Amino acid sequence: MIALLMRNRLVVGLASFIGAIALMGIFAPWIAPYDPYTNDILIKFAPYSLEHPLGTDHLGRDILSRLIYGIRPTLFLSLLTMIATISLGAFMGLVSGYFRGFLDEVIMRLVDMMLSFPSQIMIFAVIALLGVDVQNIIIANVVIKWAWYARLIRTKVMQYRDRNFILYSRCIGSKESFILGRHLLPSIASEIAVLASLDVGWTIINISTLSFLGLGIQAPLPEWGAMLNEAKNVLTINPMQMIAPGVAIVILVSAFNLLGDAIRDALDPKEVQS
Amino acid sequence: MFSYILRRTLTAIPLLLAISFVCFIFINLIPSDPAEVALRVRQTPIITPEMIAQVRLELGLDEPFLVRYWYWLVNCLQLDFGVSYVNPTRTVLSEFERALPSTLVLALTSLVFVIGLSVPIGFFCAVYKDGLFDRIMRGFVFITTSMPAYWIGLLLIWIISIKLNLLPTSGSASWKHLVLPAFTVSLTYISTYIRLIRNNMLEIMREDFVTYATVRGVKRHIILTKHILMNSLHTCIVAIGMSIPQLISGTIVVENVFAWPGLGQLCISSIFNRDYPIIQTYVLFVGFLFVVFNLLFDIIQHIVDPRLRKE
Repeated sequence: MIALLMRNRLVVGLASFIGAIALMGIFAPWIAPYDPYTNDILIKFAPYSLEHPLGTDHLGRDILSRLIYGIRPTLFLSLLTMIATISLGAFMGLVSGYFRGFLDEVIMRLVDMMLSFPSQIMIFAVIALLGVDVQNIIIANVVIKWAWYARLIRTKVMQYRDRNFILYSRCIGSKESFILGRHLLPSIASEIAVLASLDVGWTIINISTLSFLGLGIQAPLPEWGAMLNEAKNVLTINPMQMIAPGVAIVILVSAFNLLGDAIRDALDPKEVQS
Repeated sequence: MFSYILRRTLTAIPLLLAISFVCFIFINLIPSDPAEVALRVRQTPIITPEMIAQVRLELGLDEPFLVRYWYWLVNCLQLDFGVSYVNPTRTVLSEFERALPSTLVLALTSLVFVIGLSVPIGFFCAVYKDGLFDRIMRGFVFITTSMPAYWIGLLLIWIISIKLNLLPTSGSASWKHLVLPAFTVSLTYISTYIRLIRNNMLEIMREDFVTYATVRGVKRHIILTKHILMNSLHTCIVAIGMSIPQLISGTIVVENVFAWPGLGQLCISSIFNRDYPIIQTYVLFVGFLFVVFNLLFDIIQHIVDPRLRKE
């Protein structure tokens, strides 16, 4: 699977682009020209210039530096949320698709119920219950979105569970955990990869929306959604302040959406032939 | 046909019960004692353990869980959703009555935008496939799916309201205030349905009856509108109908950008104020809408599309 993806130029290009953004986030203190928290009220609302490439905000903080520091919460929180959601969804999907029976019935009814609620509203409800906090938006996203993955992964598992190589493995007495981990999981890994990369974009938008509404990451921290929330308050005075974070979100989300499509095309042999 | 409607309606009931049960569990998970909250709501100056015990008895909190759920459910069916924690003079119902109309106006207007824009654009994209217009629209669809709705709202305020000074930035005084928020809400759906209609039409263009009509010498614009567009609209209307609840709940973000005084603003301020009865009722309301609209448009689809009835 990895080798197949490495041969696809579009996948490699997009993945390195996202990787470069991630590296910028990790090495933010060395790359960013200024400290993202230093106020300098004298130079507030500075226009684009050589000293401040993207200008300064209402407190005179350098927007480019805040944008670079903002990669950390925006990108890494979304990835963390994604990994947690998929792990839970994959576990539930594997268990219910492989063992079937009573357990499957219980998990699937739970999934049905979760999916009958609109996910965005449920995320708001969970945050209301737990309180406004960074870890709570992750919990809320995981609690609400796992059901969606569980159902898709269960369908995939059911396609594989009666294949010969798995029946054989069971015949020679492999442990169930071995079959699940070594046979089934690798077989559906490509499906999970596609789902994940297509959905990261959604998660980024969702988390930044929560921060924008003030329900997620709070103001002084440089997160793109929270930056846009601050920019909203000075929209009439300094409209340029909201351009950079928004463009950054669009670029990152488009990169993930394109990557998802590219991975799907690369891994789906039917698409290549036609 | 009638038996299908009946069967489908009956399956919706357990789902509605499940949704109401989740909402009931939700309010029971709150880390504060409901009896104490009730005393605070009544603005009792000093709260003693005896008073809490008395209120517990009064509110029936000593009853078993399922009995309390039953009482709560009966109250909900009579539209009694309790009292706001923050403002005890107001019931949840009165708060909803105040906020719901503006949200419905907003959602309906965006629905008009969605249908009015995505149908013709999708149509022309399919007719002139790979033409300039189609390519521009495909780019537009791709970009808008990566844009957060609130940022689109901010951009529109900046360009239309501040730079061009055409429409007001926020508030809800006249129809002029409605245009920008409604357009922002509809934009995400417009791009989804442009793609849906375009792909549907392209699929139907390959069907045999289209070739037959062409061979028979039916005029091209009649084939396009009567045969292809009408057929592709079936699935679209059902899909749009089922997304109406999403449209209503999707106003939550946009209302906050444009200061539109609807349910979304009510919901967000309730989250900040920890006004749980309002949040609970909001979740119940949206869940109810989801089930009802799914049911409604599922039945409509069965009536409109005879192919589904054969089974």
